[in-house]
Amino acid sequence: MTMGDMKNDAAAASLAPMALYTVMFPVFKELEKINLSAAQTLRTAFIKAEKETPGLTQDVVVKILEKKKLKINYNESLLRMAGDDMQELMIDRKEPEFQELNERARALKHILSTLPDEINDRMGLLHTIKDVASAIKELLNTVNTVLRKYQHQNRRVVEQQKKEFVKYSKSFSDTLKTYFKDGNKCVCQRQPAHPPNQHDNAGLQDWRPSGGGPRRREEQTRADTGEAFSLEDRRNKAFYL
Amino acid sequence: MEDDVKKVKKPGISPFKRVFLKGEKGRDKKAQEKATERRALHTFSLSQPDHRIDPDILLNDYIEKEVKYLGQLTSVPGYLNPSSRTEVLQLIDNARKSHQLVGQLTSEQDAVVSLSAYNIKLVRRDGEDIILRVPIHDIAAVSYIRDDSLHLVVIKTAQESGGSPCPSSCPDLNKSQTRSSLSESGTVLVEVCCLLVLAVDNKAAAEELCLLLSQVFQIVYTESTIDFLDRAIFDGATTPTRHLSQYSDDSSSKVDVKDSFEEEPSPLQFLVTEGSSPSASTPASPQTKTASEGELSTTAAELLQDYMTTLRTKLSSQEIQQFATLLHEYRNGASIHEFCINLRQLYGDSRKFLLLGLRPFIPEKDSQHFENFLETIGVKDGRGIITDSFGRYKRTASSASDSTTNGNGAAGGSGDSVASDEGHEPSEGDEWDRMITDISNDIEALGCSMDQDPVTP
Repeated sequence: MTMGDMKNDAAAASLAPMALYTVMFPVFKELEKINLSAAQTLRTAFIKAEKETPGLTQDVVVKILEKKKLKINYNESLLRMAGDDMQELMIDRKEPEFQELNERARALKHILSTLPDEINDRMGLLHTIKDVASAIKELLNTVNTVLRKYQHQNRRVVEQQKKEFVKYSKSFSDTLKTYFKDGNKCVCQRQPAHPPNQHDNAGLQDWRPSGGGPRRREEQTRADTGEAFSLEDRRNKAFYL
Repeated sequence: MEDDVKKVKKPGISPFKRVFLKGEKGRDKKAQEKATERRALHTFSLSQPDHRIDPDILLNDYIEKEVKYLGQLTSVPGYLNPSSRTEVLQLIDNARKSHQLVGQLTSEQDAVVSLSAYNIKLVRRDGEDIILRVPIHDIAAVSYIRDDSLHLVVIKTAQESGGSPCPSSCPDLNKSQTRSSLSESGTVLVEVCCLLVLAVDNKAAAEELCLLLSQVFQIVYTESTIDFLDRAIFDGATTPTRHLSQYSDDSSSKVDVKDSFEEEPSPLQFLVTEGSSPSASTPASPQTKTASEGELSTTAAELLQDYMTTLRTKLSSQEIQQFATLLHEYRNGASIHEFCINLRQLYGDSRKFLLLGLRPFIPEKDSQHFENFLETIGVKDGRGIITDSFGRYKRTASSASDSTTNGNGAAGGSGDSVASDEGHEPSEGDEWDRMITDISNDIEALGCSMDQDPVTP
């Protein structure tokens, strides 16, 4: 995948918000060690800009990569980086079910981030897919538990998010089938998907204790989406979810 | 004249020898005739150098290779390292000494191995008598050993009763190994396996056979893994989220339920649990019970509608009509066994997980059979084509009941909630009958209406 392709595709797709959370937030965190004030200003500015113009952060990131002539697979990199823990995307409710939800979402993202490493090893890839399957089920079960145990007027939002997550999980499965059926050849399928944290948090935002974390709620409302599982040829694998 | 003399007889050959030579020539000729009479093998050209074959052939067809069948060793210690040439050859040598395996290879050992994604089958080259059949999920390893001019392919398989029509007693060495293992480990039982020993003509043939089996493993394991993924998504998506005690008349909640399970077979089993299970911890007040029954009707109708939507996406119009016919026959007295078998045939391997969504259609009297059937086809407990080959995901009875009874606060249940439907009142049975009759009619109508509207499954 060339940088031009990435840009065109990325612009059309919904990977945009991931660039802010997955790429820029860790950068701001590093900058805080150097210049706390500047880092916080930049962070606020990017958040505001992204809110006003969704996709702006991604454009900036892609441009920087182009300028630096960095030949990386953008989507693969996003997937890897999405495996890192991000405090901003965690639910801060103390109840065990919510904490478990955090853990399940974190676990799934971590497993998904290892896919690029396994793509060339068939058996390793299959093992990882099994782990992904278990993680998906555990996450959905935890969401179901939360929905059953805690009643809320906005449960429809969460159920809708859950439905979306299931839909893109199935898309992931379908893409895998095509990939294996075609003998690991070129398969391109792009559909937006919600990373588990955002999917859960967006709907659960209003389940927070009132008065807590308004900014985080806004950020989470803009649940960033990623493209569903997409595979290119063996030399240039790209996964994004 | 000299030519005439030469033609008369060969000097120096006695009549006896002439007769014997004539006899041998006759036998060779017969053997050659036999070889030429043998049927052609069902084979395909393989891409080089990795001998790759189209997966469809292994899934929907089969490929045959000629081998020599030396025999099958049983009760081999399971810890045998199939990649250890020394260990394997030692076993084989001992087996040959004790005549468990043939020593001299002749045309009598000629056999055909038929390979597909489901099993390997060994038949005699002449006469097609079946020697044995091993399901793929019973194969643990395949080894190639070159022993001087002998090219052996050794297949390590599970040992099951009836797995081989030619049981062989355990060689002394194996027995001693087994005994020593037992004595060392105390009460620990040693797992045993079988070794199927074949010989092929040359190294290329051996490598080809090994690579073909490797591809079969890949296909089967891949299919199984994707199956597992689909089931995991399906199970997680269809687990109920509504709490019985939170029943309300708010129509939005009903819509929520429907939307959550859009395009998914519905977790109708929870309807039985919520509506009637005595293990449910909800208060047994008449009002709640009435509300539960009402909820049963409304929610069940919606969720049944969801299942129809799923059918529309997964089955062609003809298949939907077939499904309707089968359901109709079942409702009119066909046995649950027949219903299951026919459905399995209709759905095929790729859609067998749809059977899970049929749970609510099965009345309690048949639910146990249905659940057992699901298990045998590897749907219920997460087993794919390879049985228990990974076992990471095991849908135990307790977890299944937890997922459907947690919302009710029930402290687990015994098996699936369908099975826990005990003591429901006749009115619910009537309700079920009515709904199932309605759904059968709707499905038939759906099938007819789709005749003009092709559906991509």
